[in-house]
Amino acid sequence: MFVRRLLYLLREAVANVLTNRTTTVVAVATTAFTFACVGVFLLLYVNLRAMASSLEQDIEVMVYLQDDLTEQMRREIEQQLKADRAVGSLTFVSKERALADFQTQFPSESHLLQGLGQNPLPASFVITFAVESRSSEAMQRWATRAQSISGVTQVQYNQEWVEALAGMVRYIEVAAIIVGVILSAASVTIIANTIRLALYSRREEIEILGLIGASTTFIRVPYLLEGAALGLLGSALSLVILKAGFELFRHEIRSASRFLGVDALLTFFPLDMCLVLVCVGLFLGCAGSFLSLLRFGEGRV
Amino acid sequence: MVWPLTPVRPLPLSPSMIQLFHVSKYYDRRVALSDVTLEIEKGEFVLLMGPSGAGKSTLLKLLIGAERPEEGQILIQGRSLSKLRSSEIPLLRRKVGVVLQDFRLLPKKTVFDNVSLPLLVQGASTAEIRRKVAEALRAVGLDHKKDHVPSGLSTGEQQRICIARAIVNGPIMLLADEPTGNLDPELTSEIIDLFKSINARGTTIIVATHDPNVLAQVSRRVITLDQGRVVSQEQVCS
Repeated sequence: MFVRRLLYLLREAVANVLTNRTTTVVAVATTAFTFACVGVFLLLYVNLRAMASSLEQDIEVMVYLQDDLTEQMRREIEQQLKADRAVGSLTFVSKERALADFQTQFPSESHLLQGLGQNPLPASFVITFAVESRSSEAMQRWATRAQSISGVTQVQYNQEWVEALAGMVRYIEVAAIIVGVILSAASVTIIANTIRLALYSRREEIEILGLIGASTTFIRVPYLLEGAALGLLGSALSLVILKAGFELFRHEIRSASRFLGVDALLTFFPLDMCLVLVCVGLFLGCAGSFLSLLRFGEGRV
Repeated sequence: MVWPLTPVRPLPLSPSMIQLFHVSKYYDRRVALSDVTLEIEKGEFVLLMGPSGAGKSTLLKLLIGAERPEEGQILIQGRSLSKLRSSEIPLLRRKVGVVLQDFRLLPKKTVFDNVSLPLLVQGASTAEIRRKVAEALRAVGLDHKKDHVPSGLSTGEQQRICIARAIVNGPIMLLADEPTGNLDPELTSEIIDLFKSINARGTTIIVATHDPNVLAQVSRRVITLDQGRVVSQEQVCS
């Protein structure tokens, strides 16, 4: 009984789509385009987020120590830093090691230090942060705290750079939300108009169904299914468009020698996110149909 | 949910199928029905006569819950329509067969699909649908045309398909709005005979018409409306 009714409703939904073939194709294409526009922002956001997270891992904080510290005092500072939950890893760089590193990195400048007679470079701890403490605010709080430890002369990290990166990710996030909301509303409107056309073209049939005692749900389901199918097809097609565009972009980046290695950092949406986007499309399609059905006012035949 | 066949609040000594008490209906202050009070008993065959705009179609619309009266009360089998929730209206309509002048058949569906629609919407089984559609098509003499589409049928046949659809789920009453409006006198006679045979099985029938050919063939109760008012009720013997 239920299966027969379900089959009937599915057949009706397919018939709706086939009856308004051109409108359906245009609606799917337009929906795909609008979803793709949202997708571009999402993709930009996802990649910048991934890059920011990867770069944040590389951010190191230098804790410079006084020259006259005893071994015992250095160990105490080390223990104190290690006990801090914000600290992910800690490496000690002695004065000698600092000098050796400088000479390796800047061989042409090493004569400048030789002229001073003694090693002017301080010993230091090189610190990376735990994942949950990588925000610019957390780093700033930690740096202030570390500065007050006895025996520490200076705490140094590139604060401006960290803040700029975090700001850019936030900006893209807000832009993606705004564009997403506007274009999702546009998609709902497009689907709603397509369903409205279908409703008007089958007005008489809807009246007949009302006359013979069809429930509101029975009348609405084929149109809700049609809207869901339009949303689903539109979002799936937008992912195909985005993937094609993404691969093309990655290929261009790869062939441009000045962006060497950047292409490896680029990522497309993971599978679970693709499924979520398709489900969002399906939901927006249903919402569009529902709006049209409310305006059309079927069931009050 | 099932449309209750027994009255929720039974009226004393009331075998009536339909009761209207001082019913009025207006469209933008224009009177469509004014203070109509009448009673139609179970198994009756009633003709609603009157010129165009007399209120015949409005009365039928009120009986299937397509319109609500501004004043008065309508009872079907003792149950007040004004107390029906919107979700209960489809249940009422499943017990009422409707035949319209313009047939209202689905042009792309076969005769079988058209007639089976009322059974489908109420969730009948496949076997029940096959059996009842075959019975209804036999009753209107078109069981051999079940695979045709409406456009391949004559107007008389289309109207008979419409009647088959109206009776397929055994309605308690059948309402027909100008059912012979598009038919010649010979086909009119066929359709009226069909209504008579349906009525003989106990179904209450109300036919709204201004066609004198119908009146000539029906020796039943005639209710005449004019400008929304009942102007006469008489038993006609042809």
